[in-house]
Amino acid sequence: MSVATLASRTAALEQVGSLSLPTKRDEAWRYAPHKALGRLTFGPATAPDVVPADVAGQIPEIDGPRLVIVNGVVDRGRSRLDSLPAGVELAGLVDSSGDLAGALERQHEGAEDAFSVINRAYGTDGALLRIDGRPTEAIHIIDVAVPGDGQNASASRVIIEMAAGSSATVIETRIGSGDTFGGSNVRTEISLSDEANLEHIILQDLPSTHIHLGRVDVVQAAGSTLRARLFNLGSDYGRVAYNVHLAGEGAHANLSGLYFGVGQQTLDQQINVVHSAMNCTSRQTYRGVLDDASTGVWNGGVDVRRGADGTDSEQSNDNLLLSRQAEVNTMPRLEILADEVSCQHGATVGQLDEEALYYMRSRGIPQDEASRLLINGFADQVMDDLESEAVRTWISERLGRNDG
Amino acid sequence: MLHVENLTVAIGDTPILKGLDLDVGAGEVHAIMGPNGSGKSTFAHALAGRDGYEIGGTITLDGVDLLEMEPEARAAAGIFIGFQYPVEIPGVNNMYFLRTALNSVRRTRGEDEIGARDFLQVAQEAMDLVEMKKDFLYRSVNAGFSGGEKKRNEILQMAVMQPKLAVLDETDSGLDIDALRVVAAGVNALRGPDRSMIVITHYQRLLEYIKPDFVHVMVDGKIVESGDHTLALHLEDHGYAGFVNHDLDDAPLSGATA
Repeated sequence: MSVATLASRTAALEQVGSLSLPTKRDEAWRYAPHKALGRLTFGPATAPDVVPADVAGQIPEIDGPRLVIVNGVVDRGRSRLDSLPAGVELAGLVDSSGDLAGALERQHEGAEDAFSVINRAYGTDGALLRIDGRPTEAIHIIDVAVPGDGQNASASRVIIEMAAGSSATVIETRIGSGDTFGGSNVRTEISLSDEANLEHIILQDLPSTHIHLGRVDVVQAAGSTLRARLFNLGSDYGRVAYNVHLAGEGAHANLSGLYFGVGQQTLDQQINVVHSAMNCTSRQTYRGVLDDASTGVWNGGVDVRRGADGTDSEQSNDNLLLSRQAEVNTMPRLEILADEVSCQHGATVGQLDEEALYYMRSRGIPQDEASRLLINGFADQVMDDLESEAVRTWISERLGRNDG
Repeated sequence: MLHVENLTVAIGDTPILKGLDLDVGAGEVHAIMGPNGSGKSTFAHALAGRDGYEIGGTITLDGVDLLEMEPEARAAAGIFIGFQYPVEIPGVNNMYFLRTALNSVRRTRGEDEIGARDFLQVAQEAMDLVEMKKDFLYRSVNAGFSGGEKKRNEILQMAVMQPKLAVLDETDSGLDIDALRVVAAGVNALRGPDRSMIVITHYQRLLEYIKPDFVHVMVDGKIVESGDHTLALHLEDHGYAGFVNHDLDDAPLSGATA
């Protein structure tokens, strides 16, 4: 561990004592459960004595390398780190050799907040993934939260660095154990060098008593491509924020996601894409299905800086409300300071199409099944973006679908 | 087969059908013609079981009361409606939709479900009937289809569902002459002694391709005149004016028998 890193962590630890948590007045945290956030207790990462039995069954069956983090500590027994593909370095942060200062101290465009400071203070372990090549197998990073008596929340970091021209698929699964209050705070930092190409998938499926605070910061060099797919399904409050910085000419960021809320859940996506180089493209395509008394939040911004001429961006957020108590808050934002840009955005909120339901029923399809077909059809427009069959299968099963 | 007696339908406070009587025997093809707003489509959807109608009177199919049945149960009982405006269903592929529909009615009837491979055979025959290309099966239901494709898809669904009673609501509207020929050929191929049809149309043109056994004129929510196919020819020459706001006994009819 470098001196700089230690210094930064010490500074963060000092800050933690005097932190003020976000309030309703913070636009990015407006729909968060502020009281519950205050009940999360973080501390130095400590692995649980026993990993509960309900964890194993929640991990998607995906072949290839994987790294498992439990309560912020890498679990080597559950990880598969031997025989890594050529060009892949995957290890726990505390095990990593070499100079990590560059990776650990990277400054990002997105503003830091109380939970990112907490993450820096207590997220001492996590995954370091460096790719210089084009591995064919997906790399799987699993973060597990097991609330303990001493502290109920964990913090961990994921750092992904892709060398020029590299290409890979990385899946981050976030799960938890038990039915007591707790949660996880996971910060992912991604750096894509020239012409690198990353498919990055997040499966957020913590128990309904948990809070998940996810944050992804990305910086992209010239000609690089990010395909970010978010499946925000679990937790009482499930939040994932993306801050994507298109810093090199001709970079592409294609972000999409599906949130599917039931019960009292709030599923919150905070997306911000900064265009600071010429001729970059960005796409934000998010869909929400909200049942029962669940709430969806989509706050999607595009920030086109001076000089980012030739920017091409599109944002869309479509929502399906399945119940009268369900709610969605959708906020596309656009700030343009450059010339010759094309920026489009649109948001829709609707219910199941009664006419389509009737049409299907007139063909003999029962009401429940007709509804399911329509919901699946709506969700598929995001699912179809997925290239991994294993992930598709996992999501289909998770959503109670039998059509694979 | 189908027995409709003194059928009344209101939407909110607005009466649409005002005492409609109709009997359709097995294997018969009946045409219902009438001006816009006379209640033809409402009649089709009253048969299919659309929500939001205040209904009075009787509808039975082979003696079974349809009025208390949900749309899906009516489909299982053998009713099929060809929609005037087929609904687009993005994200649901045609093949999966058709197989789900067929297996739903088979399940309701206590029959075995049909497997994917056997279904492909059924679908292929139906596609040949309406001259559809194979990629059609893998597209979303009606999404981005041309008007002609949508109507051909209705006939394709009818061929897959093999209903007892098919009600085709303005299947000819929006079709060019080639599409009309394909659709009519499909319908004619599906005629048979066990299948009855009600063809709802505004124009006589369709009836040149699908020869009805009986023609009915619907005006203001009632059938005001019934006859054989020559009634349609009369309407072609004289329009509906003779039936609207006239004492019907004095209407200038020729060749029609009530």
